Amino acid sequence: MNAFIETEERRALRAAVAALGARYGHEYFTAKARAGEKTAELWAEAGALGYLGVSVPESYGGGGGGIGDLAAVCEELAAAGAPMLLMVVSPAICATVIARFGTDAQRARWLPGFADGTTKMAFAITEPDAGSNSHRLATAVRRDGDEWVLDGGKHYISGVDEVEAVLVVARHVSATGERLAPSLLIVPTDAPGFTFRPVEMDLVSPERQFTCFFDGVRLPADALVGSEDAGLAQLFAGLNPERIMAAAFATGVARRALAQAADYARTREVWGTPIGAHQGLAHPLAACAIQIELARLMTQKAAALYDSGQDGAAGEAANMAKYAAAEACVATVDQAVQVHGGNGLATEYGLGSLLGASRVMRIAPVSREMILNFVAQNTLKLPRSY
Amino acid sequence: MNIVVLVKQVPDTWSERKLTDADHTLDRDSADAVLDEINERAVEEALLIKEAQGGEVTVITMGPDRATDAIRKALSMGADKAVHLSDPALHGSCAVQTAKVLATLVGTVEGAELVIAGNESTDGRAGAVPAMIAEILGWAQLTQVRKLEVDGTTVRAERETDTGIANLEASLPAVVSVNEKINEPRYPSFKGIMAAKKKPVSTLTIADAGIDASEVGLANATTTVLEAAPKPPRTAGQRVEDDGTGGTKVAEFLVGQKLI
Repeated sequence: MNAFIETEERRALRAAVAALGARYGHEYFTAKARAGEKTAELWAEAGALGYLGVSVPESYGGGGGGIGDLAAVCEELAAAGAPMLLMVVSPAICATVIARFGTDAQRARWLPGFADGTTKMAFAITEPDAGSNSHRLATAVRRDGDEWVLDGGKHYISGVDEVEAVLVVARHVSATGERLAPSLLIVPTDAPGFTFRPVEMDLVSPERQFTCFFDGVRLPADALVGSEDAGLAQLFAGLNPERIMAAAFATGVARRALAQAADYARTREVWGTPIGAHQGLAHPLAACAIQIELARLMTQKAAALYDSGQDGAAGEAANMAKYAAAEACVATVDQAVQVHGGNGLATEYGLGSLLGASRVMRIAPVSREMILNFVAQNTLKLPRSY
Repeated sequence: MNIVVLVKQVPDTWSERKLTDADHTLDRDSADAVLDEINERAVEEALLIKEAQGGEVTVITMGPDRATDAIRKALSMGADKAVHLSDPALHGSCAVQTAKVLATLVGTVEGAELVIAGNESTDGRAGAVPAMIAEILGWAQLTQVRKLEVDGTTVRAERETDTGIANLEASLPAVVSVNEKINEPRYPSFKGIMAAKKKPVSTLTIADAGIDASEVGLANATTTVLEAAPKPPRTAGQRVEDDGTGGTKVAEFLVGQKLI
């Protein structure tokens, strides 16, 4: 049986990332978000230190670690108040898929940039009529001579304005118009026929959301990652890390809110007593602490399963971790605001902006309801409703 | 050029630090142990010199077993190897004994010509050990340094104290102690963290290091703490209600304190 405690190196990585994150902090993050800027300095510094490339193979300049290491980086930055959403996408999904299924040429082209963070890639699966149900995707790719031609559209794609390329999920279409297996294609953001526009969101986030349009986008043969008929297995090799990272992101945000709430409850005195002495505030915070720790443990289990090559088991664990982490995040931010009273929504305390961010965790990258469907059908063998 | 950096594990400055009731030595269980921040700057300075001029950086520490955490941190930043002196007999050693022991250990590092240390630890705060080591080794001492330059066998430094800034120059070998302004220490990279465990750490007892038990420890220390009491809590300040004479009352207070 594996130990339930992280290795010395993992803990040292957490400490180093936490120290870096603390130097930037939540004020830096919100100032950037409100100014419509990116947290580019933090991304660059974390990249140069190898924190963004921990899971990229060493032979391509990465750290040779696993998703567990990458999730630790993501969690610590979020806990420091400076979460980086594109970590969930660029190194976790895109680099993982290319490292596992890419050709040598694709690996050589992309992995060194993922290793030091100089390359950023977005990921596009969600569609207006399919959600993230990969069986219903309308975006299609067809072969035309040596090239691929991509047509369709995607919704709620993070960070398209700050990446070199987007890894797009599209279904193959045969010459007779039959829809075949989904594949992954690397689409440069400057490819002719590819346009995108921002979706205005009520979120305080440096990363923006986009609607993408692909109108006869012609791509070279090597734009396709992996085999043409590999289908869902390959896709989920990228989606499980995404869920693990989303869980890490959520527990990081939750940890930050909890620490702030606990500090406030210890120090804020009303009528001569710290408010934390009252069980009406103490018990909900204690319950949040338990929820967060359980979600972290499940996240680490999912990462350990994934890193040991057990994709199937990792899928269930990653979904459960993501569910638990999102619920812990929503509950903790809500309680942290409550503990702060009016201050909970004052800009100075930085909690109000977490309300939206925490709520997103219950929706993306896979909603609470889709996870419950997954567990109902796969774990409990209940019939499908759709 | 081979450089030795002296590091010390200390109780976290931000935690509540205590002395034990039994012998007034540090209560190591009362607080988290961390690598003293000033030591990170000493390591950083050694790494900058190594990166520019080559050589090897050896970390030396004296402390209980868990001081290996402080060593790992220094190694993860990029130091090459470490010597860890750990022996129950060292418990309660004074500054002079510590300096003698560390000087002995510096002597075991092949080709060491420069020792870099923090100017003062956040726990003991004697600020004397680097100078004592220089004295024992018979090496030049450049203490309280905020800027350091090594040019061949010449060391130039800016020494900063409360009374002003002095420009120092000495020939190697030398002992340098650095202050907070010397540099900004790097964060350990992921590769540095992963490599740290594989770097050689020689753990020695005092017998291994050829040090006699009579030279160390609380019983033989030149100084001991006889009594210790926590700092009294801050008393509440004087409150002045402004009934139109607030300005005058504040001025009177400041005059009373001889501040104006």
